[in-house]
Amino acid sequence: MNTSPLHRALILTAWIAGAFCLLVCGVMVYGHFEAATNDPWKSPQLLALREKLAAEPKNQPLQKEIRQLDLEFRRNFRHRLAMDKTGAWLLLGGTLALVLAAGKAAALKKTLPLPQPKPDAGEQSIKLASRARWSLAGVGLVVAGSLLIIRLGNTSVLPANQAVWQKLLGRSGAQEAPVGDAPVLSEFQANWPRFRGWDGSGAAAWDSKTMPGILWRSAIPAPGHSSPIVWGDRVFISGGTADRREVFCYNAANGALLWQRAIENVPGSPLKMSEAPEDAGCAAPTMATDGRRVYAIFANGDLGALNFDGSVVWTKYLGPIKNPYGYAASLAVWGNHLLIQLDQGETRAEGSKLISLQGASGRVLWERSRPVPASWATPIVIEAAGQTQIITLADPWVIAYTLADGNELWRAQLLENEVVPSPVFAGGFVLVLSPGSKLMALRPDGTGDVTKTGVAWATEENVPDIASPVGNGELVFTVTSGGMATCFGANDGKKIWETNLDTEVQASPGLLGGRLFILGEYGALVTLQAGRELHEMGRTQLPDKFDASPAFANGHVFLRGVTNLYCLGPAVVKLAKQP
Amino acid sequence: MLRRLKFIGALGVMLLLALMVCAGQRFPPPDFESGYRLPSASTPAARQLWLQYADAGVLLAALGIAVWLIYRKRSRRGLFWLSLFSLAYFGFYRKGCVCPIGSPQNIVYGLCNPDYTVPVTVLIFCFAPIVVALFAGRAFCAGVCPQGALQDFVLIKPVAVPLWLEQALSVVPYLFLGAGLIYAGTGTGFVICRYDPFVPFFRLSGGLFILTAGAAFLLAGMVVGRPYCRFLCPYGGLLRLASLVSKWRVRVTPDSCTQCRLCEQSCPFGAMREPAPSGTHPKWLGAERKRLGWLLALLPALVAAGVWAGSKLSPAAAQLHPAVALAERYTRQQSHPIQYGLMTPEALSLERAAEDPKAVLTAAADLRHRFDLACGLFGGWIGLVIGFKLVALSVRPSRTDFEPDRGACLACARCFTACPNERVRLGLMPAAGDPALS
Repeated sequence: MNTSPLHRALILTAWIAGAFCLLVCGVMVYGHFEAATNDPWKSPQLLALREKLAAEPKNQPLQKEIRQLDLEFRRNFRHRLAMDKTGAWLLLGGTLALVLAAGKAAALKKTLPLPQPKPDAGEQSIKLASRARWSLAGVGLVVAGSLLIIRLGNTSVLPANQAVWQKLLGRSGAQEAPVGDAPVLSEFQANWPRFRGWDGSGAAAWDSKTMPGILWRSAIPAPGHSSPIVWGDRVFISGGTADRREVFCYNAANGALLWQRAIENVPGSPLKMSEAPEDAGCAAPTMATDGRRVYAIFANGDLGALNFDGSVVWTKYLGPIKNPYGYAASLAVWGNHLLIQLDQGETRAEGSKLISLQGASGRVLWERSRPVPASWATPIVIEAAGQTQIITLADPWVIAYTLADGNELWRAQLLENEVVPSPVFAGGFVLVLSPGSKLMALRPDGTGDVTKTGVAWATEENVPDIASPVGNGELVFTVTSGGMATCFGANDGKKIWETNLDTEVQASPGLLGGRLFILGEYGALVTLQAGRELHEMGRTQLPDKFDASPAFANGHVFLRGVTNLYCLGPAVVKLAKQP
Repeated sequence: MLRRLKFIGALGVMLLLALMVCAGQRFPPPDFESGYRLPSASTPAARQLWLQYADAGVLLAALGIAVWLIYRKRSRRGLFWLSLFSLAYFGFYRKGCVCPIGSPQNIVYGLCNPDYTVPVTVLIFCFAPIVVALFAGRAFCAGVCPQGALQDFVLIKPVAVPLWLEQALSVVPYLFLGAGLIYAGTGTGFVICRYDPFVPFFRLSGGLFILTAGAAFLLAGMVVGRPYCRFLCPYGGLLRLASLVSKWRVRVTPDSCTQCRLCEQSCPFGAMREPAPSGTHPKWLGAERKRLGWLLALLPALVAAGVWAGSKLSPAAAQLHPAVALAERYTRQQSHPIQYGLMTPEALSLERAAEDPKAVLTAAADLRHRFDLACGLFGGWIGLVIGFKLVALSVRPSRTDFEPDRGACLACARCFTACPNERVRLGLMPAAGDPALS
């Protein structure tokens, strides 16, 4: 046994290095497990505070406490990272010393070999080969067993053969939605599936012979400026605050609230919405439906699709949306396309885009960037010049896109200011408003920049800044915020008549056959004859404040007031019982 | 005592690796209310081209020096310093990439993916050591491979692995090579690189599994010479094949073999082979011939069985591909929806999948088809390797002297100075008949 001082010193060094490594390891392991048990993701303290904040969103001291706790977590995290780095280098040094000392000590103790002859080498060689073959077979079995375990431990839900694959691919929503799934055009026309009706024109397919009376009214549980949409016996509206955003479904026959569903836990959406501007609130965009599902978008960018029974089909986060007054452009549907005009930015384009989603799945069919800042107008879809076109408005461009792939068809630089009124298609013209300055009729058959060639006529008289126009092919009607109703010729834009309604107006007018239906902000409901002669057919006062535009469906008129949802019908009947 | 010290050292290494894992833990992003968007992750710029060529130049120079040190200088000390340089340069400076071990994956990926062009430098890294091995054996393993150098560094007291076990385990690198190539060919990823146990050391970061595996290899490497090189390295498998037919081979003795067996004791890698016994007893000869015939007949059966079994592995193997895994999760989500409240990676990936399920499922279908083919080939490859090795183990070698196994020898030059004739040549001891001995 070598017991030289050098050997003893090397052994001692190796022991010290080993003990040092263990000590450093112990400290680091303790830090590791402590960090693992205090995961900031799951901190009960932080979660409790967040829940409390959800209940008291304006609690400033609570917000400060959360921020302080968050900062503390981050400091601890950084500190631990620095500790780990230092510890790693210390361990590296300790391990180096350990290996060098132990290696040198082993070399000092090395005994010189004294090989012996092998008289039975031949037999040993045969045995060795035999044993090697058996052990190789053993390796093969171990490999086979391991692969079998891997196979059995990883079950797949994907198809095993091509036929089932094809079936799955066909079901994945790859192609256009099955024809049987989409309602026919007459169903769309009979209902009110989006802002201002199936085509966004504000005109209903039926006529109202008499001034309607209130059939029922029903309380609205959450604030919002969105207009009602109607499909069959269901009326839908959205509402909400910075804390909770919901969809409400009413029975169109009696106003009973059938269900309300919150759009929540949207992947990617912040837990708390930043304060929505007071003007638009959280629920200014009007919902849309394709007759199979209803869709709602809110100012924070949460978008959801619900079945008619209120179950969530899918949700998607499109935010945050940079809009100085709050996002308000409504959704549009056409076939299986759900269209979202997501214009953003105060003075210049900041991520503005037009998005087409497949309604059934929520997957993006296409997406196009737009060179415009925030706008509040809702797009419409028209059939013109052999194309299905999407017409969009924003400062300064009117831009038309193809529905199929989102390619741009034409554009015209005609708009200025904050574009709120939506376009309509009437009499072969696309009617657009440059708020407060110009009403223009465009021919939708151009390509490229049609600023100089596409305008059929324009007028600067009594141009609204909020309400959208409405037309019947022969005449165009507008109403300003101050209540000035004006009739223009659809072919030349010449003013035919004008009248002051003595009421302020936020809602866009509607057309019920021969009646122009105008809803004043403070409840004045005025009907004018939709003709060349000015004639007020009726006027009544409703007990509410109205910002949303009316919906006309199945012989009824649905109005969203600030406090109640109203249904007007041809005969005055007893109010429905409040649900 | 030494054993205990080794245990402590190994424990330290393992814990070091485990703790490195913490450094990679992610911290949740804040909930910004100001509309601030987190910047998206960006990929670092590629290494400048001239530097890539410089790396290839360093590799070629190191290979040349290694060959010179093995065959001309016969210097273990020189190879040790070259190893240290390689460990520093290819390991810690270049962080183990690009390295010849993973480069066959680039080649296969390039062959299977027309959109990918294999860089010239990768071709050099892949083929230069193989070409050198065709002439001079495993010079790359001897002094240029950083993984090998790291294992050499921690080798304290080697013990011999039984030869029968060594022979059986020598097929494992080929199986790993096969798995690595099918995953590269299908575009799943470079699993040979991902599961290289030493690269996390060079980069000072890595996943828990691979760091633990690295620690285990280093622990074993204290008493078993270069366990990764011998029993797992897929590139070592290629070099082993090339070395079998190399023009020159490492010779222990500069003169005639004295049959002293000292070289056998000096090799920590179990590569030294003793002379084959002269003649065969008649009672064994018939049985050996019969066995060889059966094994030759078994070879195609093993390949066919491997192809069949491999094709059954396809659904599981394909799940390592991100697109297939996403399709699996998407399909599961459709049948058993899970509501994700937080912005977790799982929720975000499903969000992306929902945007285009057809693309996700179509890609998965295509990949599953490719995996069917690849796994069949892999299974056949396993059968071929095992069958071929069984045949090789049934063929008698013809050696008259102690000499290194041409495939297994890492050309580390340790055996040179163990040979009495070499020591005489170097003047380290007097020759037989020298008056100094009398």
